Amino acid sequence: MSSIRVAGLSIKFRIYHDSSPSLKSFFANLFDDKRQKKYSDFIAVDNITFEINAGERVGIVGHNGAGKSTLLKALCRVYESTDGLISVDGRIAPLLEIGAGFHHEFTGRENIHLNGTIIGYTPDQLRQIEPEIIEFSELAEFIDTPVKYYSTGMYMRLAFSVATAMHPDILILDEIFAGGDAAFMNKARTRMHEMIDKANIMILVSHQHELVTSLCNRVIWMDHGRIVADGRPEDIVPRYLAGEMNG
Amino acid sequence: MKINPRLFIVELYSFRNVVKQLVSQQLILRYRRTTLGYLWTLINPLMMMSIMAVVFSALFKSDLKTFAVFLFAGMIPWNFFSAVVTQSGAAFINNEDLIKKIYLPKMVFPLSIMLALLIDSVLSFFALFFIIYVIGGSLSWTVLFLPLAYLMLFFFALGVGLLVSVATVFFRDLQYVMGIAMQGLFFLTPVLYKHEALGGKVAWLVRVNPVTPFIDLFRAPLYLGSLPNINLIMQVLGISVSFFLVGLFVFLRQEKKIVFRL
Repeated sequence: MSSIRVAGLSIKFRIYHDSSPSLKSFFANLFDDKRQKKYSDFIAVDNITFEINAGERVGIVGHNGAGKSTLLKALCRVYESTDGLISVDGRIAPLLEIGAGFHHEFTGRENIHLNGTIIGYTPDQLRQIEPEIIEFSELAEFIDTPVKYYSTGMYMRLAFSVATAMHPDILILDEIFAGGDAAFMNKARTRMHEMIDKANIMILVSHQHELVTSLCNRVIWMDHGRIVADGRPEDIVPRYLAGEMNG
Repeated sequence: MKINPRLFIVELYSFRNVVKQLVSQQLILRYRRTTLGYLWTLINPLMMMSIMAVVFSALFKSDLKTFAVFLFAGMIPWNFFSAVVTQSGAAFINNEDLIKKIYLPKMVFPLSIMLALLIDSVLSFFALFFIIYVIGGSLSWTVLFLPLAYLMLFFFALGVGLLVSVATVFFRDLQYVMGIAMQGLFFLTPVLYKHEALGGKVAWLVRVNPVTPFIDLFRAPLYLGSLPNINLIMQVLGISVSFFLVGLFVFLRQEKKIVFRL
């Protein structure tokens, strides 16, 4: 049984007014007592505590910049927490960015192996699922062509097929993906729902509120890095929408 | 920030397939769709070294064959070291997209660059070995020492490369500084000339240059046909281990901050 526990989690970003301090200013500042701050801190996630247990389908809602995506990335270990603890039990599959690590000079087949390895498939698993990935992406004809010759739709189909080839315990989604032509979108949507059904835990960030209401059995509403409310979708989503109207 | 070396190694091992993929990506990509393909990796340095051998043996009025062997033996460790230092600066910066999207132990990026360069270097060494043999250089059994020399060189370069890769994330200017710095260092490293040949005010710089003993280490078996003496081996071992440990320490201290600074 999978579970996620988050206690007192904070993530602070340091925003540099210069993109990066130069060597010169670094050394200049070493000897300058009255140095001005060249950066300001931005707290993207502010002292959040929650627990997610097996079987839960959690939707996270909130305005842009509320810290939703940062929270997801922290769960996937992309961002290290500034404060607090995250403990995850179960294999996480981040579907945050489809096609991470794709290389445009590589062929479709090579990218299946490159991208697949990066997202955590073993070589054995990859050999096993390769035919299935190629079939699902409908790219058999072009699989040995470098992906830089692919259309955007072909590229998305391949990336989606690799990312969704295995069923993880914990599924993390930043908006539901659907790309490609109409026929593929239907297929993709079906597969997405299958994955959600089979996942032990699902966490979804979305601005499509009907989707959150239909897919989730719990909703967390975030604002300015904090949790505003946490409960059943029927209760939280209308409140969030009402707040959005007024605010 | 706590550092747990055992966990670090266990985790790195569990991501070995990613390292393998990244290494082969670099080896495959470089010359994709060229006719000679990977051979360019060997031809390029060989041509460069041959030109230098012809020019400088004439300039120094020494015998071409002898000088070529002398030069090649010094160029092998230098080329590897120099490539590691100039390329590792981009290790994290070039992989910004990946690092911000998905969790991977940050070590995989510099490590894969260095392993790919090591493979290049060892292969071009074999090509040189062949050339030395053809032009009639004498090769002795002492070349059996070279794997050990390579190992020490690798850990030295790994340490320096880690320092450069981390530092470049924080100070982007270093990308441009390193290129010219390596050119300067080349002249302070006895690759073209004999260790004792450079006198005057800069002689001490050649002596304190940590790359110098590595050149001597490769030159002993390849050029002199003898084993390096034990003092030299101990000195190189000391340099190699200390640079590796310092590089690793700095890397582990800064590892988690990298993603916030890309």
